[in-house]
Amino acid sequence: MDGAAPTPDGWLLDITESDDGRSVVLWAKDRRTKVVRRTAVEYRPPFLVTGARPHLAALERHLARDPAVARVERRVARPSLYDRRARTVLSVTPERNPARRSLARAVDAFGGFDRYALFDVDLTPPHLYHLEHDLYPFAPVTGRGANLTATEPAATIDYATPPLTVARLRVTIAGERRGRIAPPDGRIGTVRLEGITFEGPEEEILRALVDELARSDPDVLLTEGGDAFDLPWLYRRAAALGLGPAAFQLGRERVAFGPSRPARTFESYGRLYHRSAAYPVPGRFHIDRENSFLYDDAEIAGLVDAARLSRLSLTTVVRQSPGTCFTAMEMAHARALDAHVPWKKNRPERFRDGDHLVAADRGGVIFLPPVGVFDRLDEFDFASLYPAIMVRKNLSAETLDCRCCPTSPIRAPGLGYRSCTERVGLIPRTLAPLLARRLAYKEAMRRPGVPPAEAAQWKRRVKMLKWILVTAFGYQGYRNARFGRIECHEAINAYARKLLADLIPAAEEEGYRVLHGIVDSLWLRPIDPDRPTDPAGFARRMSARFDLPLGYEGRYRWIVFLPATTHGLGVPNRYYGLYEHGDFKLRGIGGRRHDTPTLVRRFEHEVLDLFRGARDADGVRALLPRALARADLFVERVRSGGWPVDELLVAHRIGQAPEAFVTFTDSVAALRQLAEAGVARGAGEVVRFAVLDRRSRSFRARVRAAELLAGDERYDAEAYVEMLARDAETLLAPLGVDRDALLDRWGAAPRPEREEYRSPERTDQTVLTGP
Amino acid sequence: MGRTSPTYRQALEERLKRWDEFGRLLTTPEERAAFSALCRGARRYAAQATYVGSPDLLESLLLSVLLDLAARLPADAPPARPVPR
Repeated sequence: MDGAAPTPDGWLLDITESDDGRSVVLWAKDRRTKVVRRTAVEYRPPFLVTGARPHLAALERHLARDPAVARVERRVARPSLYDRRARTVLSVTPERNPARRSLARAVDAFGGFDRYALFDVDLTPPHLYHLEHDLYPFAPVTGRGANLTATEPAATIDYATPPLTVARLRVTIAGERRGRIAPPDGRIGTVRLEGITFEGPEEEILRALVDELARSDPDVLLTEGGDAFDLPWLYRRAAALGLGPAAFQLGRERVAFGPSRPARTFESYGRLYHRSAAYPVPGRFHIDRENSFLYDDAEIAGLVDAARLSRLSLTTVVRQSPGTCFTAMEMAHARALDAHVPWKKNRPERFRDGDHLVAADRGGVIFLPPVGVFDRLDEFDFASLYPAIMVRKNLSAETLDCRCCPTSPIRAPGLGYRSCTERVGLIPRTLAPLLARRLAYKEAMRRPGVPPAEAAQWKRRVKMLKWILVTAFGYQGYRNARFGRIECHEAINAYARKLLADLIPAAEEEGYRVLHGIVDSLWLRPIDPDRPTDPAGFARRMSARFDLPLGYEGRYRWIVFLPATTHGLGVPNRYYGLYEHGDFKLRGIGGRRHDTPTLVRRFEHEVLDLFRGARDADGVRALLPRALARADLFVERVRSGGWPVDELLVAHRIGQAPEAFVTFTDSVAALRQLAEAGVARGAGEVVRFAVLDRRSRSFRARVRAAELLAGDERYDAEAYVEMLARDAETLLAPLGVDRDALLDRWGAAPRPEREEYRSPERTDQTVLTGP
Repeated sequence: MGRTSPTYRQALEERLKRWDEFGRLLTTPEERAAFSALCRGARRYAAQATYVGSPDLLESLLLSVLLDLAARLPADAPPARPVPR
């Protein structure tokens, strides 16, 4: 190798499945002409089946007669990461690609669901095509069609991003405002496509849009709510006007109108989420900012990076969680080891008794911080601690308690799980390059003289990787994770807990007292305020001592740790503080929550803005009277009735099916209003409303759903005064402010007593001082 | 985590809910204040109790309460006098 990569002819943008079920479609952009060319390549990937020899022979005979099967062949392979020796497997090629899964299910059923293990079943043909041909989305390529070759590997860090043209798309219904409920017979009034507005008769608008798309030929359509609104509405009106797939084409080839992926509701970390259906625009990418978990943080630069590393189409990456990307990255590494991807994880948890579960099933160390205002605090964070532990300790399903290393010295503290010392596990193989990448990105971002636009791009890639690295840990404990194993999850936590425990005396040796700690972050305070500490040196020394990267986040001018409203002790993740370098760090306060009305956010901004001037903890305390005076002004203006209603919207994520609600709440009232207007909202979706009369028993009078807001509603001022009191208490409790005293100050009715008995813990909510 | 078996914090809150019933029948503000301080003490060392991972909830809970009390004793407190017979 002379190291010089050939000049690419262009970029591979995407691989999609073709309608005929026997090939994939490669979309490549020419470097000079910028024209995107579509090439169909015949491709029907097999899946693999393992099992005992007689069972395999039976299956071979059975499949030979199946018309859905194109080919059955015997091969020798090591499909599973646990396989130490190669064995005979059946390679089954379906007649048509869409039949992969149904055929696999039939094989599984033929084996009574336990005689066969299947591999590579649920990888899509485009994904497999990438893996088999060393291709990846946005790869610089030479050649054409089946001879397409990437000129550099996906792992390249400093790559040239392909020039993607992005066009913002926005549809408005005639006579309606965006965000309001469109009538079922509504017509499209205007369509905006990247600076061009189409108006006039509806059919002309649609035809003009198609023409303009063909002319400017954007690669990415960017919408706000396009999956739920713009695309389905466009297709719906096109169908109503009798335009067929031939005349109305938003993608680069014609496609049947209708969603390519149905809407779904799912649960994650105890919260319900809703994903809208996705509509296809083949050959282009549609990014719906409202339907994408990753877009806001990562933007296109980050998403392109994730697509390259995971070999998943940008269309998939946009709509899926970082966990899906991580799993796909694992798959790529597994394939590089000549292993295949198990269809169902056939590895039940080992039996363990209750005491072991209590001992093993614990998270990281999370202290309760002392409530109060503090200064001279240094914050330290381990960079990607859990992934780093997985790499250092070689934690992976197949390397934990392996049979080859019974005397391995790498043992999880307190649990004793051994790590293999013979071979590197799949998880460390996947993670190590990601960690190196993240570091390289961070360095590139901070290089002197790097243009701001480029720095921003690095930053997005860093954020993208951060999310993927975070999931890497969680997926060890997730029952459906393909390469996960709960014991890894436990081992990682055990190493992390031991680390934090070891850091307490280590910090004290260096003159620091631990004030607060959460899993991988530490807030330290000098024991002797007059003896200067050396935070950068401390971080360096600890990194070396524990062989894990501890970083110095910065010193706080002041930081406020907030109490729980229930018991008055500190809450690990509720604080706000000002670094010496001038940035705020905010956690768990109103402005960070999605349900907070703009009114409350504005109030918080004002208070924080005021506190920005404080040099230390005493400075913050001295500003309290002025903060309260600001609060008084907010109350006065809210009571005047003139606060804009759209700043008073409260958001609620619906936690259950609307008909399952038994009490009449503000959300229920809003849901009924929406239902009356013909809009159904399901669990996981968000309902937004303004409170008009919180005491009303009528769902029409109590609130007004955001979609039905006219703008001149009279709102319930006292409801918002209470919200302000609640928020002021959240922010200012450590300074001695409590909600009832505020309501009293503002002459508001005291909060109704919910219950006769008030827990004694709530009667003495006073300022607790730190140690 | 916290699904198959409850975490220490979950188990603690469950237990304190039971203790709350105890608190309901206290008749003086002093006793109630002392009781709530005791509950706070139980919660204060949840991180340390989790770290130990003892199968005995009450052991960790009482240790937390005792430490909370002990930590508030002045360092120069005179040694306890023997209880007169």
